[in-house]
Amino acid sequence: MTAAARTYWLTEPCRIRREDNSIRIERPDQTPIRIPITDIRDLVAFDHVDVNTSVVSLLNRHDITVHLLDHYGNYAGSFTPHEGMSSALALRRQVEVTSDTHLRLTAARDIVATTAANVKWALDTDLLDAPLKRLTEDLPTAGDSNALMGIEGNFRRSSWEVLDTMLPPWLRLNGRTRRPPSNAGNAFISYVNTIVYARMLTALRCTPLHPAIGFLHADTDRRRNTLALDLAEPFKPLFAERLLRRAAAQKTLRQSDFESDVARASLSKGGRKKVAEMLRAELASTVYHRSLKRKVSYEELIHLEALKIVRLCLEGTSYKPFRPWW
Amino acid sequence: MTEETDNGIGGVHIKYLLHCPRQLWLYSRGYRPEQNNSSVAFGEALDATTYTRRRDIDLGEAKIDWVTTGAVVHETKSSRTPSPQHEAQVRHYCLLLARLGVNIARGVVHYPLVRRTTEVAWDAFARAEAEKTEQAAKDVIAADQPAPRLPRSRCRGCSYRDYCWGDL
Ligand code: SF4
Repeated sequence: MTAAARTYWLTEPCRIRREDNSIRIERPDQTPIRIPITDIRDLVAFDHVDVNTSVVSLLNRHDITVHLLDHYGNYAGSFTPHEGMSSALALRRQVEVTSDTHLRLTAARDIVATTAANVKWALDTDLLDAPLKRLTEDLPTAGDSNALMGIEGNFRRSSWEVLDTMLPPWLRLNGRTRRPPSNAGNAFISYVNTIVYARMLTALRCTPLHPAIGFLHADTDRRRNTLALDLAEPFKPLFAERLLRRAAAQKTLRQSDFESDVARASLSKGGRKKVAEMLRAELASTVYHRSLKRKVSYEELIHLEALKIVRLCLEGTSYKPFRPWW
Repeated sequence: MTEETDNGIGGVHIKYLLHCPRQLWLYSRGYRPEQNNSSVAFGEALDATTYTRRRDIDLGEAKIDWVTTGAVVHETKSSRTPSPQHEAQVRHYCLLLARLGVNIARGVVHYPLVRRTTEVAWDAFARAEAEKTEQAAKDVIAADQPAPRLPRSRCRGCSYRDYCWGDL
């Protein structure tokens, strides 16, 4: 997206108030920040926010989503304006496409296969060659989403183990845990994955698609928008695994960036700032796009991914999930 | 029914048809990318491109002068180069107004940046032209598949580029 509007990351508890056509963000012990409403694409809140009706109506009028993360980096929910872009025709096609078992499973398989390939790319190792081969062999036999998720789970377990060999002991995952994440590494992954999901949700909101009608994840996944979850999958390793490896190698993260308890961990205030900063820089970094013939940021790649589904729905073109080409 | 199946053709439809039929097809399907010309914030762009609003604005923009013998439809363009597309758009407004029973004299396109105006005749021939263009727009919208992409060089400045060219 090339509009002037930006994503604002709220890493501290704050109060959001309206002031004419700006919002004023008040943080404890600091001078408030004012942002013109037209400069905002969306808000990501890592910590408690306090809003009132007049802010909500201003955000709604300008179609701005507020993504809310809970203390452990899980998606807690969002304030989502009414659907300004939706179109009955596109929606009808989306429902048709995703309820066609064959189309749905094909897309779901492609998402799983691509995500696994992207994990290997992110970890940049041949230790995952064998698990990837097994996944590729098993996929055609999977007859439904549950079977697919099972195959993906097997691959993922191998990938966490490989990732652990690249991390200092205190940052290791020792198996993936969520709600709450059991240790620092898991907390990091949870936060980053949630942000990637939130980016995809925002991208989908710029299309006529409905973010809750998808391919792979179960429709019954409460509170979650399955299409956004599906499309976020191939991007997650690009951010979560890759940034965790990088943060370990460059020693960007320290134990003090986390608040760890016996069986639960979350980012500290300083840690949230660091992660927001890493993500912001990563989303803004660019690669050359051969067919658009220009540089595109990772954020735009997420946006282009959403457009692929618009194309699938409107024109019936096949969907090829995102793979890094550089 | 829905906005898309309502076959009312407005000024934007004619403009898109003449620029690129593919663009009209996509627009009619409800895909309206954010206008990426900088200062326009997304929310505003969204508001302004909403079909019904836009149609009002288009008719509103084609300001009308009344004299006793008939109405003159004026349209102002910020472009520097007069183009047949602009004339076709004005003819379309004339057609819509004529159908409402307005007695149209002629149309004028204004180009304030280059201090020029272009006269658009309104007669039986012009009306037939306008009807042909309107029918062409309806045909494009009714097709199952969009028209192929234009040659790349003609896509410059089009807000649908990410959609049309974004697949590797
Ligand atoms: S990008 Fe090119 S092909 Fe696509 S709608 Fe615009 S002008 Fe037409």
